[in-house]
Amino acid sequence: MINQLKELIKKEMLILLRDKQTVLLLFLMPVALIFFLSLAMEGVWADKLTGRKIQLVIQNESESPKANLLAEKIRTNKLIEEVQRPAGMNDDKIFAEGRAHAIITIPKGFEDSEKPVEMYFDPVIDAGYKIAARSLIISLTVEVVMGIDNLEMVVADLVTEKKKPNKEFPTPLQQNVPAYAIFAMFFIAIPMSVGFLKEKKDGTLQRLFTYPVNTNLVILGKIVPYYIINVFQFILMMLVGVYVMSHIISFSFNLGEHRWHMVPVTIVVAAATTGYGVLVAAFAKTTEQASTLAATGAVLMAVFGGIMMPHILMPLMMKKLAMISPMYWAHQAYLDIFLRDASFGDILPRLIILTVFAGICFYIAGRRVKWI
Amino acid sequence: MNALDISSITFRYEEASVFALKNVSLSVPDGRIQALLGPNGAGKSTLMRIVTGQMRGYTGEVSIFGTKMPDRSALLSIGYAPQPISLYTSLTARENLRFFGAMAGLKEEQIGLRTKNLLERVGLSDHAEDQVATYSGGMQRRLNLAAALLHSPKLLLLDEPTVGVDPQSRNHIYDTLLELNAAGMTILLSTHIMEEAQRLCSSVTLVDKGEVIFNGPMSGISDLEKFFLEKTGRGLRDD
Repeated sequence: MINQLKELIKKEMLILLRDKQTVLLLFLMPVALIFFLSLAMEGVWADKLTGRKIQLVIQNESESPKANLLAEKIRTNKLIEEVQRPAGMNDDKIFAEGRAHAIITIPKGFEDSEKPVEMYFDPVIDAGYKIAARSLIISLTVEVVMGIDNLEMVVADLVTEKKKPNKEFPTPLQQNVPAYAIFAMFFIAIPMSVGFLKEKKDGTLQRLFTYPVNTNLVILGKIVPYYIINVFQFILMMLVGVYVMSHIISFSFNLGEHRWHMVPVTIVVAAATTGYGVLVAAFAKTTEQASTLAATGAVLMAVFGGIMMPHILMPLMMKKLAMISPMYWAHQAYLDIFLRDASFGDILPRLIILTVFAGICFYIAGRRVKWI
Repeated sequence: MNALDISSITFRYEEASVFALKNVSLSVPDGRIQALLGPNGAGKSTLMRIVTGQMRGYTGEVSIFGTKMPDRSALLSIGYAPQPISLYTSLTARENLRFFGAMAGLKEEQIGLRTKNLLERVGLSDHAEDQVATYSGGMQRRLNLAAALLHSPKLLLLDEPTVGVDPQSRNHIYDTLLELNAAGMTILLSTHIMEEAQRLCSSVTLVDKGEVIFNGPMSGISDLEKFFLEKTGRGLRDD
């Protein structure tokens, strides 16, 4: 019996690994997605989410010592990048061409508190940047007017921010490596279901049942190889993320303090993905149907589940909708480990949801599958 | 003892309006080559699939050398070469035989020895390490037969074993079957090639529309094709 199972697994592995297209789909596709999307997101992350500077045109009409000090404080602030107004270009054109986010005018009379500093924002600027830029300019103006050297230090005893360094937001690698590893793991449903239907079509599955082989053994022989491949997929993606990509892009890949929690998460995620594969195999009638169903399902789960668009950037409604996707629970479990140093108890609810998903898939498939 | 006893088998496919087999009974004595003939859709393949344990939900009884099915241990007495080439085309011939040998419960050494002998017997020794996808139709048919023989069955069920092969491969298969029968193997051969049945078989069972319409010795039939058409009619069968 053990020998039969060994041969069933070996046969499935040989068929799978000799299919070059499948190997490319399962291993090269996620590596390429991680590579290119991390590079692409590096720009977005640096620009929009973590280090984007506020581009300002500073018009110092006063030229008084106070006005000059304020202009200098604004100019040298690390969150601000001064932009020079091109000759003859008016404010609206500056915004239309995207040259600056705001124009700050220090008018004559500022030094005598007769006229306030004027802030003119690009009408389409993100509300968050507008608030941040406003607060910053107000703080700097208060410093100059009140003669305070550093307002932030003065209010430090009153207001302080508590945070873990670099852990409030996933880096492109922390987002993409588990995301596309999960995505590729769900794609196992394609070779799994297509292989099953091809065996039925070719008659090899029927032939198998002309031998005294236990049906449960045949089922195990169909699931275990893909389960093993899934685990290898995840390991490979992590190796690529940690040892290759972290040297290529400027963001690090912090695995968190409880990195070994990736083991139970991966075990459960692989069960969910193979469950999905079995479900597709049980429902599809042809190999074409199987590959379409498996791929469409995986892409939709990825779209909803925060794989293609980071969950943290989704609007509230989409964040709630994401919960219907098992990929969401899988991805969040990994992000819990990387970003939040989650204990096993913290990730357990997500693991239970994924296990229930796998169980439902296997149960429905078991009721529906036709072996012959 | 008969190699195969089929008694009053009745079977209908799910969602089918007509029965695929109606009260079918036949026996294949030990040591004989018996032809199982019939037009397309007559029920020959269904009968073979029932005998080989692939189908359930039938009424009646099947016994293999006296063991009543569905005792799956009886399956080891049967070798079955299905009509479709039921082999893993991305595996080599040796890997295919190794796999089916393991499924039959053979030990490592038995598989190695029998694979070597069978590949020689079906003329595929030089291509043992080639993937089956690279084989010609005739080579695939010969390997399909070899896979059925690997566990040395006493009863061989062949479903159109020479369909789509060239005369060379066909004659090679005929010679192999006659050798196996001479060594004591019982063979039930389903075929549409009347010349093949007449050349190899000593008795014939004719099935049509799920029923046995003739069962008797081949010796009394001078022209099998004429006999077949007389019994089953000349009308086209589209089902």
